[in-house]
Amino acid sequence: MQASLEMMGETEIPKMGLRTLVRRAERRHFMTMLALMAPSVIFVALLFVIPILLFLFRSVDNAEIPTLLPKTAVALDTWRDGEIPGEPVFAALASDLHALKGSPDAALLGRRLNFAVPGYRRLITRTVTSLPGTQMASAKETLAAIDKSWLDPVYWRTLKSQSGRITDFYLLSALDLQRGAGGIEKVSGEQAIFMSLYGRTLYTAFGVTALCLLIGYPVAAVMAAARPAVANWLLSLVLIPFWTSLLVRTTAWVVLLQTEGLVNKVLLQLGVISEPLKLMFNTAGVFIAMVHVLLPYMILPVYSVMKGISPVHLRAAASLGANPATVFRTVYLPLTIPGVAAGCTLVFVLSLGFYVTPALVGGPGDQMIGYFIAYFTNSAVNWGLASALGVFLLLLIGVIYLALGKLVGFDKLKVR
Amino acid sequence: MCIKSIILSGMLSAIATSVCCADTLTVANNGGTVGTAQREAFFKPFAQVSTNTVVEDTFNQELAKLRSQIETGNLLWDVVSLTAINEATACEEGLIEKIDWSAYFAPKDFEGAGGFSECSIPNNLVSGGLVYDAAAIPASSAPRTWADFWNVQKWPGKRGMLYRAEQTLEVALMADGVAPADVTRILSSEGGVERAFRKLQELKPYIKWWKSGDESIRDILSGEVAMTFAWNGRVATANRSNNRKLQIVFEAGHVSGAQYFSVMKGTPKRPAATDLIKYSSSPTAQADYSRRIDYAPANAKAFALLGPETVATLPKDHLDKASFQSGKLYTEFWMNNGDALLQRFLTFAAQ
Repeated sequence: MQASLEMMGETEIPKMGLRTLVRRAERRHFMTMLALMAPSVIFVALLFVIPILLFLFRSVDNAEIPTLLPKTAVALDTWRDGEIPGEPVFAALASDLHALKGSPDAALLGRRLNFAVPGYRRLITRTVTSLPGTQMASAKETLAAIDKSWLDPVYWRTLKSQSGRITDFYLLSALDLQRGAGGIEKVSGEQAIFMSLYGRTLYTAFGVTALCLLIGYPVAAVMAAARPAVANWLLSLVLIPFWTSLLVRTTAWVVLLQTEGLVNKVLLQLGVISEPLKLMFNTAGVFIAMVHVLLPYMILPVYSVMKGISPVHLRAAASLGANPATVFRTVYLPLTIPGVAAGCTLVFVLSLGFYVTPALVGGPGDQMIGYFIAYFTNSAVNWGLASALGVFLLLLIGVIYLALGKLVGFDKLKVR
Repeated sequence: MCIKSIILSGMLSAIATSVCCADTLTVANNGGTVGTAQREAFFKPFAQVSTNTVVEDTFNQELAKLRSQIETGNLLWDVVSLTAINEATACEEGLIEKIDWSAYFAPKDFEGAGGFSECSIPNNLVSGGLVYDAAAIPASSAPRTWADFWNVQKWPGKRGMLYRAEQTLEVALMADGVAPADVTRILSSEGGVERAFRKLQELKPYIKWWKSGDESIRDILSGEVAMTFAWNGRVATANRSNNRKLQIVFEAGHVSGAQYFSVMKGTPKRPAATDLIKYSSSPTAQADYSRRIDYAPANAKAFALLGPETVATLPKDHLDKASFQSGKLYTEFWMNNGDALLQRFLTFAAQ
C-alpha cells in the first residue's frame, strides 16, 4: 500500500486529477471526430442547406419594387386605399420611372408587378417610354394622359402592399389568396389552382404509398423466407428496375399502356375486353407507373428488417398454439413495423416531389405540385412563387413526418 | 537545343494566333430534329467558311436559363434560338443584344415571318395546323375547317391539342368562326378570352392534351387521337421517317410563329455570333434548312431555291390563313396575360 502510494507519487498523474485526463482525452476524441466529419458537414451546408435557405428566402424577398421605386415607396406611406393619390405621389412615381428610361430594369419592374396584376407590365413599360424628359406641370395629369389606368386604385394598392423589403405576396398566392381592397381574400375560381394541387399531390402520394406497401410487403416476406440462392435472384429482380433510369421506365409504360399498346392488344385478343381500356393519361396511369418506379424503395427497407427477424420467434408462437394468422398479427407484423415505417416514409416523400411521371402518363387532372414548381422556376421565371410552393411542400412533409413520428415513434422512422 | 526551342516557340505562337482569331460559339436551340437540321444546314457549313467553330446546347425555351446566365455574369451561350414571346421578353429585359439587322438584309424579305425585332432576326416559321391521317380518313370526307375538328359526331375519336394557353386559345377562336387574321385582335379585346374558353369547353371531353411535339405525332400515328393540332415540321418528318400519310390542312387556318436567332447580352464573341446568324439567314442556308425540317424559311428569297414538293408542306400559299405570333398586339397581350392565362388554362383543363 505504502509502496504503491510512493510509486504514484513519483509520477505526476494524481496532481492533474483523473477527471481532467478523461476530459482531455474526450475532447481530443471529439475534435478528431469533428475533423473527420468536417468535410461532409461543410459539403452539406454549402451545397444543400444554404442554397435551400436562400431559395426559401426568395418566397418573401421583394427587392425589385423598393429599390427601383424608392421615392414612390416612401410617398405611398400616407396614402389611404380607395382614393386616387395626390400630386406628390404621382410626382415621386414619375421621377422614379424617369430614372428607369432606357434600362431593362423597367421591364423587370413591369414583370414583377405583372405577377400581381396582369397588364401591369405594359403599363410600366409604356409609361416609362412615354414620359417626357422635361419638368412637367402636373405629374398626375401627365401619367393619366399616358395611361388612364393610373387613375385606378388597384394599381396603387398593389404598389403600396408590395413596397416593403419583405412581401407576403408569393406565400399568399401559393395558397390561392390575394390582398384586395378589404384585406386578404380568395382569388377568383378560375385562377385558384394551388389548394386543389396540394390535395391532389397528397392524395397521389398516399395512394402510391399504400399500393407500394400492399404489393411490396408480401414480396419482401417471400424474399426473406426464401433460400439464399432464390433470395438473391429475387433481389436482383427488384434491383434491376431500381437501377434503370426513371425516364426509361416511364416511357416503357407509355408504350405498354396506350390505347393501341401491348396490354390492350393482349386483353383484346384474349377476349377479356371488347374495347381498349383507358389505362393512360388518367389517374390509373399515374398510379401504375409511380408504383412501379417506387416499389423498390418499399421492398428494400422492409426486406432488410424482415431478414433480421429470427424464425425462432415465429416457431415459439406457433408451438404455443397460435394459428398462422395470430402469429402474423401478434409477432411477425409488429416486428416488421420499423421496416414498414421506413419504407412508407421513403415512398411517400419521394412521391410528393414527382413530376416527370405524372407529366408523361397523367392527364390534365393529375399534375402534381412538382410540375408547377418546375414551371414557375424555368418558364415563367417567377422564382418567388416557385419558392413559396416549395415552402409549403416542405412544411407539408415536415408536418406529416411529425405526425407519423408521434404515431409510430421517431426511432422507427430510420432507414437502415 | 536551340533549333528545338525555336520550333517550340513557333508552334506556341501558331497556337496563340489560332486561339486569338477563332472563336468557339455556343448555340442553344430546342435540340431534337430541329437541332440536327440546324447543325447540318447552318453550323457545319459555317465552320467551313469561317475560322470559328460551333458547339451546341439544348434548352426547352426556359427563359430562366438566359436570366441566370446574365445575372451571374457566367455566359455559357453566345447565340440562342427563341420563340416570339420569349424573344420579345428577353429583348425588353436586356437578356439579348440589340442588333440592327436591316444593315445586313432587306427587311421586306423577312416580313412574311414577322420582320426584324429590335434585337433579333426571324430564322424560320413554325406553323401549327389541323392534322389528320389520310390512311384513316379518306380524302373525300377529310376535315376542312377547325369547325370540322370540333365535330365529333361526323369524325368520332379524340382530338390532340397543345397543353398550353397560347396557340390553343387561338385555335378555339378559329373554330368559333373568327378569321385567322383577326384572332389576336379578338382574343385581346373584351370577352375574347371567355369566348375562346367557352369554345374549348365544348370539345374538352374529347381532348387529349399533348406536351411535346413528339407526343403530338405519336398520338396521331398510334391512333390514340383521330385528329390533332401539330407543327408542320414534325408532320413532314414523321411522314418521311415512318412512310405515313399525315395531312396538314393549312386552309383551315393555322398558328404561325417565327423562331428567332438572338445574340446573348454581353457576349465577347458578338461579331462572330452575328456572322453565324448572317450565314444562317442567307437564302442558301435557309433553303437547306427547310429541305431538312420542313419549317418555312424566314428569308423569302429561299423559296425560289426550293422544289415544288418541299413548298407543298410549307404554308407559303396559305399565309393569308395564318394567325401570326408576332406584332406588338400579340407580344404585348401574351407578355401581360400569359402567366394568368396559363394558370386559368391549367385549372380549366384539370376540372
